Amino acid sequence: MTITEALKITQSAPRDARPFAVTLVCGCTPLHLQTFLAAHLQQALPERRVTIATGLYGDLRGTLQRVSEAELPDVLAVTLEWADLDPRLDFRSAGAWGRQSVSDIVAGVPTALEAVFLALERVPGGPRIALSLPTLPLPPLFHTAGWQSSEHEAALQAALMQFAAALAERGRVALLNVQRLAEDSPAGERLDLKTHLYTGFPYTAQHADKLAARLACLLAPPAPKKGIISDLDDTLWSGIVGEVGPEAVSWDLAGHAQLHGLYQKLLASLAEGGTLIAVASKNDPAAVQKTFERPDLLLRAERVFPIEVHWNAKSGSVGRILEAWNIGADSVVFVDDSPMELAEVAAAHPGIECVLFPKDDYNACLAMMRRLRDMCGKERVSQDDAMRLESLRQSAMFREQASGGATPESFLQQLGATVTFDFGAWNEPRVLELVNKTNQFNLNGRRYTEADWRKLASAAGALVAALSYEDKFGPLGTIAVAAGRVSDGTLTLESWVMSCRAFARRIEHQTLKLLFEATRAERIVFDFMPTAKNGPLREFFASLLEAEPQAGFELTRSAFESKCPALYHQVREMRRAEAHG
Amino acid sequence: MDEIRQRLMKCFQVVFPALPQEKISGASPETVAEWDSVAGLTLMNVIEDEFGVQIDLDDLAGLDSFERYRAYLEKRAASA
Repeated sequence: MTITEALKITQSAPRDARPFAVTLVCGCTPLHLQTFLAAHLQQALPERRVTIATGLYGDLRGTLQRVSEAELPDVLAVTLEWADLDPRLDFRSAGAWGRQSVSDIVAGVPTALEAVFLALERVPGGPRIALSLPTLPLPPLFHTAGWQSSEHEAALQAALMQFAAALAERGRVALLNVQRLAEDSPAGERLDLKTHLYTGFPYTAQHADKLAARLACLLAPPAPKKGIISDLDDTLWSGIVGEVGPEAVSWDLAGHAQLHGLYQKLLASLAEGGTLIAVASKNDPAAVQKTFERPDLLLRAERVFPIEVHWNAKSGSVGRILEAWNIGADSVVFVDDSPMELAEVAAAHPGIECVLFPKDDYNACLAMMRRLRDMCGKERVSQDDAMRLESLRQSAMFREQASGGATPESFLQQLGATVTFDFGAWNEPRVLELVNKTNQFNLNGRRYTEADWRKLASAAGALVAALSYEDKFGPLGTIAVAAGRVSDGTLTLESWVMSCRAFARRIEHQTLKLLFEATRAERIVFDFMPTAKNGPLREFFASLLEAEPQAGFELTRSAFESKCPALYHQVREMRRAEAHG
Repeated sequence: MDEIRQRLMKCFQVVFPALPQEKISGASPETVAEWDSVAGLTLMNVIEDEFGVQIDLDDLAGLDSFERYRAYLEKRAASA
C-alpha cells in the first residue's frame, strides 16, 4: 500500500458510521504509521469510521498511563522500540556510547520493560491491545563486530523475551509475531535514518505499511474458519489407496511422503483446537476404513467427522458435511490436490475457500499449511472448542433419533436436558466469541469489540446471560448468549445468539421464559434486524408472533406464554444475585 | 508542463481533501490551515509516489507552496 492509497482509503470511510477509536502508543512521531494503521483498519472494518489518537513524542509510557485517565478507546496499538527503553538506544540521542553506558543500559532495560508491563496491566479492561516488540536495529554501540552478538546485546534480547513471555502468558495483550513481520519487512529495510533524524519518524514507508498491516490483523482479526474438508489420496496421504492398498499409502520420511505427514499433524493440531475436520473423497470405502485403522496415522479417525467416501461428486459430499456441521460454506476450507475437484466444489458452494494441496512443490506445501493455520488459528482454545466435534456427533445422533419413530414431544421429554443460565459470565472469552461468530440465530448480526461489550455489560440495568446445555447425548457447552438491559418492566434485548448445534431443543423458548421470570419484565423489546443469514431466528419469532417480525418489535409476557410449547428442561441458574442483585 | 500541474493538483487533493480545487494553485502553509509539518511530509511522500521521484529532505524546507513544488518538478523533469 502506498501513502496515497492509504490516504484515499481513510478518506473513503463513511462519515456517519460508528467510530472505531484507536490509540496509537508509540515513542516516535507517528506520521505514516498512523496513516497506514488507519487505512488497514478501515479496510478490515469498512462499516466503521477509524479514528486514531496519538501521544507525545518520546513518551510511550506516559501515553499508556493517560489511556487509563481518558475515555477508553476501542483498541490500543503499542509499538515498542529500543529507544523507548533507554534514550541512549535512540539514534537521535546525544548520549555517549561506551562500556559504562552499555552496562547502564543493560542494567536499566529490565526496569523499563517492567514499567511498560505495569502500565499495560493498568489499562482498564475493555480495549483490545496489540503490541509489537522492537522492529528497528540496535545502534552499533556494542564492543563486538556486527556479526557477533555481545553479552550485552544477548542480555537485552533475553530481557525483552522475558517481557514478551510474561505478556503472552497474561493473555491481555496480542503480541505481533516478529518472525512473520521479518518475512514481509526485512530487518535491513526498516530504518530510514535521515527521516528519523530530521523528523523523529524512524520507519521507511514500506516498513510502516507492513507493521501497520500486522497490527491491524491483531486489532481486528478476521473470523477464523470453522472447518476443513480434506481429500485423501495424494493429500492426506501419498498414493491412491484403492490401487496400492491401505498398507502401501504413506506419510513419512521413508516413503518420501513427509509432506502428507506434516499435513496430518497440522489437521490433528487444528482439530485439538476446535477446528472441525471432515473428509470428502472419491474412493473405496473399505480401503479408506482400513487405512484409518492404521495405528501410525497421525490424524486419528475419531478427530474426523463426517467421512464422506464414495464415487459421487464431491460437491454433494461437501453439502452433506456442511449440513452435519450446520455451518455455511463461507466458514469452511476445502483442500484437494485436484484443481478440477476444487473447481467443482467452488461452483456448487459459493464462498467456500478452496485450497490446492501442491503435492509436488515442497515450499508451496509449507506455504499452504501456514495459510491453513492463518485461516483457522485462534488466540485461545476454550473447553467449548475442545468439545465441539463430540457435540456435533451428538447432534447428528440427536437429529437421527429425533426424525425416527418417536413423536417429537416424547423424544424431547426423554432427553433429560439441563439448561444452565449463568448471569455472571459476560467477560468470559467464549461469550463474546459466540456473539461475534454466530450467524443463523442472531438477533441483528451486530459484532462487538471487547470495549463495546464491556460498555453494554456495565450499563445501568444491564443483563447478560450465558447458557450452557446438556442432555443424554452429552454436553454442548456454552451455546447461547442473551444481553440487554431492564428498565421500567421492559427488557430490551440488544444481542441474542444461539449456536446452530443447539437448534430443535426448545432452548430458545426456555431462554425467553427464564428471562421473563428473572427480570420480572412484562415485555421484551427485541433490537431485531433481519440479516442475510438469520432466517432461523426470524422463523422462530414468526412462530411466536404469527407474523413476520419487524425491527424493534415487542413481545409481552402473556403473548409469549400463550405460544410457548411444553418445556422439559431442568433449569439451573448461576450468579444471578451476584450479577444483578 | 500542464501534465505536471494536473498530477500535482491530484496530490494536493489527496492530502488536503477539504481544499477547494480553485485554491490549490495558491496553496501554501499560510493559506491552508491543515498544512503543518506532518501534512508537509505526507504531501512530499504522496508526490514521490505520484511522480516516482525521491525528494531530499534537505529540499523540503523550500517546498512550501504548490508553485514551488511545480517549479521543482518541472526542473527535475527537464534535467532527466
